[in-house]
Amino acid sequence: MTTHVGLRRAMGLRTAVSTSTGLAFAALQYLAAAGLVTYVAGDSAWISIGVAGLLALLAWSFFGELNGMFPTAAAIRRYMSNAMDDRVALTVTFTYLSTIVLVVAADAFVVSAALTHVLHVPAVLTVVWTLALLAVAVTSNLRGVKVAGWLQDIATTLVLILTLVVAGAALARSGTPLHQPLQPFGHHGAAGFIESVALGIFLYSAFEWVTTSAEEVRDPRHIHRAMLIAVAILFVVCAVMATAMSHLLTHGQLTSAYPQLYLGARAFGTAGIWLMAAVTAVTALNTFNGGFITASRFIYATAREGSLPAPLARLNDRAVPWVPVVALGSVSFAVSVVVEVVGGTGWEVLVAVGAAFEGMIYAVAAFCVLRLRGRLPDHHRPFRIPLVRLVAVVGLAVFGVMALVASVTVSNRFDPVPLLIIALLGGASALYTVRVVPKLRAEEEARRAARPARRPPRPSGGPTVPPGGPPGRSAAERQAPSVP
Amino acid sequence: MATAQEIADAYADWQARCNDNQRLAKMLRGWSRTVHLVASDTGDGFTVGVSDSVLADLRTGLVDQPDLVVTATSEDFADLFWGDLNPSEKYLSGEIVLAGSAEDVMRLDAMSMVVFLDQ
Repeated sequence: MTTHVGLRRAMGLRTAVSTSTGLAFAALQYLAAAGLVTYVAGDSAWISIGVAGLLALLAWSFFGELNGMFPTAAAIRRYMSNAMDDRVALTVTFTYLSTIVLVVAADAFVVSAALTHVLHVPAVLTVVWTLALLAVAVTSNLRGVKVAGWLQDIATTLVLILTLVVAGAALARSGTPLHQPLQPFGHHGAAGFIESVALGIFLYSAFEWVTTSAEEVRDPRHIHRAMLIAVAILFVVCAVMATAMSHLLTHGQLTSAYPQLYLGARAFGTAGIWLMAAVTAVTALNTFNGGFITASRFIYATAREGSLPAPLARLNDRAVPWVPVVALGSVSFAVSVVVEVVGGTGWEVLVAVGAAFEGMIYAVAAFCVLRLRGRLPDHHRPFRIPLVRLVAVVGLAVFGVMALVASVTVSNRFDPVPLLIIALLGGASALYTVRVVPKLRAEEEARRAARPARRPPRPSGGPTVPPGGPPGRSAAERQAPSVP
Repeated sequence: MATAQEIADAYADWQARCNDNQRLAKMLRGWSRTVHLVASDTGDGFTVGVSDSVLADLRTGLVDQPDLVVTATSEDFADLFWGDLNPSEKYLSGEIVLAGSAEDVMRLDAMSMVVFLDQ
C-alpha cells in the first residue's frame, strides 16, 4: 500500500477565509446594504443583517455536511445528482450558474458607475468602462492569469478593513446618536423586516463558493471553518456599513449606484470618495477572478461530460477553456448594458434576482441534506447536522419563503420582474436539459461506440479480471460507470 | 484489476503521444509538476513528472512531494492512459478523485483532450 504525503502547494485556512469572504463581498454588496436600509426604520438595519447571518449559518451547516461528503470542485453536481433526478439537478445547476453571470455583470456596472462619478465624466462612458473592465478580465483569464493566494488575501483584507474604517469614521464624525437602532419593525412593520432579511441573505451570498476549492486545501476542515469565519466577518462589516449608511445618507444617495462613495465623503471628504472608489475597484478583482474561473471551469467540465455542446470544452494554448470565458464576458457585458440603459432600478432588479437565486440554492441544499440522509445513510460525513430532520425542514421552508419574497420585491415595492427573469432562466435551463442534453449525450455515445478501444486485450489466463468485463470492450463500454 | 505492468504499458503509450504532440508542448510550457497516481483497489502508487513540456517516465511508488494526486481504480488508470476513458466524466461521477489546484487539474485533463480528441 502507498502512503499519501501533503501537497506542495496547498491552500491554508487564511486563504480559504479570504476566498470565501472575497467571493461574497462584491461591489454589489454596497448597493445591497444601502437598499436593505430602506426596508427598515432608522438604524435597525444591522438586526436584519444579523438575522440573515443566522440564516447563513443554517446554509453553512448544509454546505458543511454536503462538502464533507463530496470534497470536490464538482460537489454541486455530485450531491444534486445523488439527491434528485439528473435532469432536475442539471436544470438547477445551470440556473445557479446564471447567478455568477449576474454578479459579474452587476459588479462591472457598479465599478464603472463609481468611476464615472469620481471622474466627473458623461454617464455614457459607464458602458466604456464596463467594456474595458470585462475585456481586461477576459484577456487575463484567457492568458491563464490567476490572482495568487497571497494577493487575494491582501486585497480582501484591505477591502474589508477600509470599508470598516470608512463606515466607522463616518459614524464617529456624524456627532449624532443612532435613531431607532433597536426597532426593526418600526415604520415598515414585519413585512418590511422580512423583505430586508431576504435581501440581507444576498450580503452573504457566494460565501459557499469556496467549496469549489475543496481539492486544494491543506486540511479538508479548512473549508468548513473558512465559511463560518467568513459569515462572522461579513456580518460585522455589513452591519457597521449599513448602520453608517442608514444614519448618514439621504434617500437619493442610498438609491444611487454608488452609495459607498457618499459614505467615503462623509468620512474623509474628497479623499474618502477616491478611497472608496479604489476599494470598489479592488472588489472586482475577487469577483472577476473567482467568478470567471469558477463558472468557466464548471462549464468546461459539463461540456466534457457531454451535457453542454462540445465547443465549450475547447482549450487555448494555455489550457484555458476559451469559449466559456469569452461567452461569460460577452453575456456579462450585455447584461451590464441593459442595466445601464434601463437605469433607475435596473441594478436593484439584479440584486433581487441574485437574492432569490441564493435563497433557492440554500433551499435546494437543505433538500439535498435531507434526501441524502435517506439515500446514502452510510456515506462518510465528517460534519453531521444535529437534529437534521428539523433543521433541514426549517431551512427548506425559510429559504423557500425568502427566495419567493426576494423575487417579487424591488425597492420596498411589489415587482414581479425578478420572478419573471428567474422563471425565464429556469424555463430555458429546463428546456435545454429536457430537449438538448439527451441529444448531445446520444451523439457522444455514438462517437464513443464508433471508436474502437485502444487498450490491447489481456492475454487469456491472465491474473485478474476487471470488474466491468474483460479488456477488448469498446470505449463506450469502458466509460460506463462501475458504481451505480 | 489492472497490474502495475499494464498501467506502466498504458502510460508509456500515453507518454509517447503527449511528448510527440506540438500543441500540448505549447500548453505545458513552463508547467513543472509532480503528479502522484494512487490505485485505490490495488494500493499501487506511481509518480509522474512533467517538466519543460516533457512527460518523464513513470516511476513506481510515490516519490517527492506532489503538486497533484490522482486516485482511481487500476482499471481506470489503464483505460485513461490508453485513451478509452473520459477522465472528466469519471471525475464528475466521483470515481476519479483529485487533490491539487484547479489549474493543475485543468492541464492534466487537457492532456487527454489534446492527444486523444485533438481539441
